[in-house]
Amino acid sequence: MKHLKSMNKKARMLEQAANPDQIEDVVAMQAVVGCTATTDPGWEIDAFGGLGSLCQPMEADLYGCADACWWPAQVPDTMSSHPEWGEGVDNATRDWRKVDGIFQDD
Amino acid sequence: MNQYKGIKTPRRAAPLCVALLAAGWMAAAQGAEEYLLTVTRPGLLHVVDMRTNTLERSCRVPGAFGSGAMALAPDGRTAFVLSNMWEDVYGIDIKTCEVVFAARQSNRDIKVKSIQSVAVSADGKELYTVQNRVRQHPDRLEALAPQLAVFDIADGLEAKPVRTFPVNRRITKIAATHTGEVILGGADVEAIDVRTGATRIVTPLASWDRGPLWAPPDAFAMHSQGEHLNEYIMPYVTAKFTDERADMETAEWWWGMSRVNLETAAVEAMETVPFEFIVFTFVTDPNNRDILYGAFNQLSKHDIGAKQTVAVEPLARTYYAINISGDGKTLYVGGAASDISVHDSATLKKVGSIELPGDMSTADLRVARIE
Repeated sequence: MKHLKSMNKKARMLEQAANPDQIEDVVAMQAVVGCTATTDPGWEIDAFGGLGSLCQPMEADLYGCADACWWPAQVPDTMSSHPEWGEGVDNATRDWRKVDGIFQDD
Repeated sequence: MNQYKGIKTPRRAAPLCVALLAAGWMAAAQGAEEYLLTVTRPGLLHVVDMRTNTLERSCRVPGAFGSGAMALAPDGRTAFVLSNMWEDVYGIDIKTCEVVFAARQSNRDIKVKSIQSVAVSADGKELYTVQNRVRQHPDRLEALAPQLAVFDIADGLEAKPVRTFPVNRRITKIAATHTGEVILGGADVEAIDVRTGATRIVTPLASWDRGPLWAPPDAFAMHSQGEHLNEYIMPYVTAKFTDERADMETAEWWWGMSRVNLETAAVEAMETVPFEFIVFTFVTDPNNRDILYGAFNQLSKHDIGAKQTVAVEPLARTYYAINISGDGKTLYVGGAASDISVHDSATLKKVGSIELPGDMSTADLRVARIE
């Protein structure tokens, strides 16, 4: 690199990136935008290989996972990305059929 | 049940002081009104009269639901609720439903989320949150350092932080002491001086160093309680290995806790009972501080003096949060779905149910006392 001279902004950014002192620390965003920092396994099995320590029934736990970004792979996060997901469905145990899936916009 | 012979626990701090505090509170509780508070979808603060276990009123909380974490003014009259997708805090008079305080933490450039962290100072003048901040650039997101934000409650509906101090990441529930600190529940239990920002470790958890025979503890705390004894509990799970091979199969698994007396900031850190099942939240019996009650898929009673789980009552569903009446006779479990289950603390048997219009999800279940 010492024989090359950066000519534009992108090249200068590459030059900075090659210097370890210039690379910013990677830090978790603690569920501020989306939930991708959380990668817990899902509702399938508990930490002991059984089912007894899972929340029961899953409908009772639905918003506890969505609101807290607890299991983002299984439930839309209402904290940031899909705040409208549970609108009109205040009681998930009774009305869980009314909550819809999340589909990517084309 | 695991064996626990030979386990040593640290000396408990200031037991006499705590006993006197509890006795004083019990005496004062005789003539006090008690209200059970929680929040449900679509953003309602519910006030339950604990004499009759009936819903007395429901107050509208501004903003979208989330998270329902709650701190109480010392006089019990105002509940400070984390709302609007974990961003804003609203102070609501539980007698009139009037919104008397608002702290909107995000702005156009910086999105702020508080992960259950809301507390009120012992004198009722200041409100504390831990702000997890992200600056939203046009082309990228920049994670900023988290900070403790201090609000002046007298600022009312347009409150802005009057002081901020850097804190570590991963902080969830917090509580204010009478000694000018805020307890921070994170990777370790820490305390921060709300005047200087100086921090200290109260109980090392992620950074504890107890040698190769103890597994680093897995601590978890989403819900706040303990207002009846003015205490803060951070439970954890750890394992004691039989030798340095650290075999999980032969290890003794233990519940433990860091229990902070918010009056004095004295802490007890100890293993409590063998780990047999998940407990989301613990609360201390006001008549006997060796007795803890826990809730999750079962209601449980634990004698930490004898280091035994003494009773277990299955619950109809998962409940995240537990609390207890001032006389110690009645347990309430809530959170997750839409009913609060009421139990006799002596038998753990269910004695009632309080139906609410929506799910409590991550909301706290707290007891307000009004003299």
